[in-house]
Amino acid sequence: MKIPNLTFNFTFKKDTLEKIQEWFEKHALSFVIFILTTISVYTFLHYYLNGLGLAYNDARSHLDIGRRVVEGLKPGLAQLGSVWLPLPHVLMIPTIWIDFFWHSGLSGALISMISFVATGVIIYMFLKKLGVGLLGRFFGILVFLTNINILYLQSTAMTELLLLATMTAGSYYLMLWAKTDEVLNLIKSAFFVMLSTLTRYDGWFLFLFAGLLVAINIFVKHGLRKSFGQLKEVYQETEGKLILFATLAGFGIALWFLWNLMIFKDPLYFAFGPFSARAQQVQLESAGELVTKGNILLSTKLYLYALVYNSYAYPVFLGLSGLIILFVSRLIREIKIASLALLAPLFFNILALFFGHSVLFVQGISGNTLFNIRYGIMLLPAIAIFTGIAVDRLKALRWTLVGLFLFTAFFTFTSGDAVTIDDARVGSSQKNVTEVSGWLKENAIDRKGFILISAASHDAIIFSSGLPMKKFIHEGTGAYWQSATTSPDRWARWIVMRTHDDNDLVWKDVSRSEGFAKYDLVDSYPFADIYELKDEYLGELNTKPVFSNQK
Amino acid sequence: MKKIFSTFLFVLFTFLILVLGLRGLPGNPTGEEINQNTWKDDGPFELSPERGRYALTMSMVENKTFHFSLPIARFTTPDLGYKNGNYVSLFAPAVSFIVAPGYIIGKYFGLSQVGAFSIILLFAIINALLIRAIAKLLGANPLASSIAALVFLFASPSFAYAVTLYQHHVTTFLILFSVWILLKWKNFLSFALVWFLCAISIPVDYPNLFFMLPIGIYAFARLFDLEKTGKVLRLKFRPLILLSLITVLVPLVFFLWFNKESYGSPLQFSGTVASVKAIDEQGKPTVPGSAGQDRAEQFINPDLQKKSSILFFSTRELPSLLYSHLFSPDRGILFYTPIMFIGIIGVFMFYKKNGKMTSLLLAIVGFNIFLYAMFGRGGWAFGSRYLIPSYAIISIFTAMALTHFSKKFLFVLFFLLLTIYSVSVNTLGAVTTNRNPPKVEAVALEKISNRKEYYTFQRNWEFLNSNQSKSYVYRTFAKDYLTAPQYFYMVASLIILIMSGQIILLYLQARKGKI
Repeated sequence: MKIPNLTFNFTFKKDTLEKIQEWFEKHALSFVIFILTTISVYTFLHYYLNGLGLAYNDARSHLDIGRRVVEGLKPGLAQLGSVWLPLPHVLMIPTIWIDFFWHSGLSGALISMISFVATGVIIYMFLKKLGVGLLGRFFGILVFLTNINILYLQSTAMTELLLLATMTAGSYYLMLWAKTDEVLNLIKSAFFVMLSTLTRYDGWFLFLFAGLLVAINIFVKHGLRKSFGQLKEVYQETEGKLILFATLAGFGIALWFLWNLMIFKDPLYFAFGPFSARAQQVQLESAGELVTKGNILLSTKLYLYALVYNSYAYPVFLGLSGLIILFVSRLIREIKIASLALLAPLFFNILALFFGHSVLFVQGISGNTLFNIRYGIMLLPAIAIFTGIAVDRLKALRWTLVGLFLFTAFFTFTSGDAVTIDDARVGSSQKNVTEVSGWLKENAIDRKGFILISAASHDAIIFSSGLPMKKFIHEGTGAYWQSATTSPDRWARWIVMRTHDDNDLVWKDVSRSEGFAKYDLVDSYPFADIYELKDEYLGELNTKPVFSNQK
Repeated sequence: MKKIFSTFLFVLFTFLILVLGLRGLPGNPTGEEINQNTWKDDGPFELSPERGRYALTMSMVENKTFHFSLPIARFTTPDLGYKNGNYVSLFAPAVSFIVAPGYIIGKYFGLSQVGAFSIILLFAIINALLIRAIAKLLGANPLASSIAALVFLFASPSFAYAVTLYQHHVTTFLILFSVWILLKWKNFLSFALVWFLCAISIPVDYPNLFFMLPIGIYAFARLFDLEKTGKVLRLKFRPLILLSLITVLVPLVFFLWFNKESYGSPLQFSGTVASVKAIDEQGKPTVPGSAGQDRAEQFINPDLQKKSSILFFSTRELPSLLYSHLFSPDRGILFYTPIMFIGIIGVFMFYKKNGKMTSLLLAIVGFNIFLYAMFGRGGWAFGSRYLIPSYAIISIFTAMALTHFSKKFLFVLFFLLLTIYSVSVNTLGAVTTNRNPPKVEAVALEKISNRKEYYTFQRNWEFLNSNQSKSYVYRTFAKDYLTAPQYFYMVASLIILIMSGQIILLYLQARKGKI
């Protein structure tokens, strides 16, 4: 069939196209920041309005820790406590004193949101420095910001995003150091690794792993076939750079030991104290729930499931392809080795599960619920970077790869596939304390008197009650705690505790005191019971703060 | 002349084998007769996809309506639709229309069901021819291309679905035919045909929209010509070719018209219509035996059901379903058609030669695999039937691999062994049954039946050894002379003999430097 041969011809000068490309290159980063910020704010609002932003029990605890530094019966830096590393709570201090920022979770979410934008920017820069074109860089960002799990976590007061930002920044500068051999980049890498060591213990592993990569890189740079004299020089250079790196990167770790020594009189209090993860794991192990301990295959399987559930199967598959492409590419070996720092969370989490220092439940494989499934999100920046590399290098396939990603991402959103939200809603990371906190909100707000409660066990109740922190006597209130647990009838109008559970420090002490007989059980709720001092004893109750300037 | 003769032999061979496997029984069953076990569980309509599509064909031809009579509705359960007080089809309609001529011609010879199923058989043969043609166009050796086409037809689960009434071979035809047209031509008519095929794919099976998408995009991109000359980039575009898009109106109008007639609204898709699992003696929807009480109301009043076409697909199950489709013993490629993994080698070979076409073909495979890895295991089935379009594409790559490595003895030997295994497994499926449960259901079934319930092709082997075959030729003619196992051995041996001969011939030709 012949149709008229009407043809439109469009002519473009290559110079013009190059100028357009330069313009995009120049403004791409600003565009990326704008998009990331917009999406960050939008998703925070979305999860704030539907209440999921505060669903994680841990999120409420983090906010309370930050709040206790600025408000309470014994405010101060000592309220940063032990076990959980301090940086996220320190960063909350400028805003947490505002009630709205505390109770909306914005104080903590703000840190996550900034970290989200920062991580996105680092992914973009990482790819740029690896020589990846604009499409590959944008694709890496796309993989990152279309992940519902990361979008959710960045809207909460959880610590994952801060850790991701600091670890990815540390890896980025390590890669830059490998590429340029500039010491300043090594120092920057050490700085961000230090920040990560003050965020979560994953950062401690990164510290060791990155140190190892520094050493390997120096040896590889100089070549392995050396005379004894040359080897000695290489060793000295390695030693020097390692000391430089480790001094700054490990500073945070040293500070943490010092902190524990000063506040708790034991440098290892965070590791072996009564509220440590170890204490939790001992309990789990005795209940037969630490199934990964000593089992490397199960540890690997569980973590890989968590990884795929968090990052989605197609990006993981594409990321793996990108990793292989990176390693067969013409980039210098040092860059490839340094880029391995991005994989530190993979090794850390598997080892942590294997040694029993971590617990992870994947429904249907270990246990009948989800718990800590969000640990699988830790490799998302790595996956984003490696997928960007894959799309860049496989030129002929790139539109197929992008198309398939958009295809699967579409169904991710339509099916609402977000395992971190499932854990927050119905998994073991949530705690629906609305009944007990609701009772407190209704009955304690306008009546004088303190509430005796264990923050270690019931931080979620403290948060959800909406009452000011100074209403509560808890472990961190020093003399108030000591007095209230021995003579509760003189200090606590209400007691919130899990009856018959010696893990609840309030029950453990109060149940053995004489004053406990002066309380009535108001009601039993999920997670805790409420006791109220009988009316005839109210006259002897202290209702005002009396211990000032506690140290 | 030689080419025509070889094509004729190819068609004759494939036709003969497929006829030997074609499922069916003689007769023109009525609505009442077709509800008997002879036709259902023990016969060619063993599963609801066959029943659902055939029911619509039967209803159209016999009753001149898209609404099912009560006997046909009973025949279609548990995958029966219900709308505005009428029993309707839950399946995309085009396949039922396509097989209607076969039904009518078959009915004339007293073989209405066989006639309908034969249309799918014809599509399977055309698909094999298209694979052969496409592989040759892309540079594969002609003999390697023939072998690859036979690999698709007889060494993959497409064999078991070429002899019964499913949509997969029609879908595969639409994909292959579009690719072939795009390879051969670049004119108004070719574009018109491709858009038409893209559009008609939707009433064949709704997920086809996604498989045809890469083809549609590729075709659209071909409307533009980009020339790089010196310091200038020239983009040419013939806007009048866009008029070829008008051909999409025909299938779309058909589709909307069918929806209007069946469901009362042109935009009501069959997958979103309320479903009826069982019908009581009064002809009303009722609660099936296995349902929980909490859903009883929805079964009795189907209009209360709310369904979404998008929510069928979820990425949460992607990892486990990918495993299921690729590696699991109950339907994975590894166990049912491991020869397909040779195609992966072909991908690498062809990528270096023609990255663009590799990209298109891999896009189709990718969409196919990932879509169904978000959907499900496919219920009771033989192998992974949803991946039949992918088997076709991968077979093209297999031709590339064969062409490249035909000189290597070890490769050829390995290929031969995989072929023998894959042909044996899939012939077993074709001559027996597709009614294999997924592992989880087999385990549950064991508790009810109190016996070992196989979920791999062992189930087919068990079926065969109880002297059963669903082949029309066997049931009508051969059963008086051969046992079912003997019949299987005969068919499988024939295929293996011919294919082995071709593989060896290819090897010898390659050694002599003729390739």
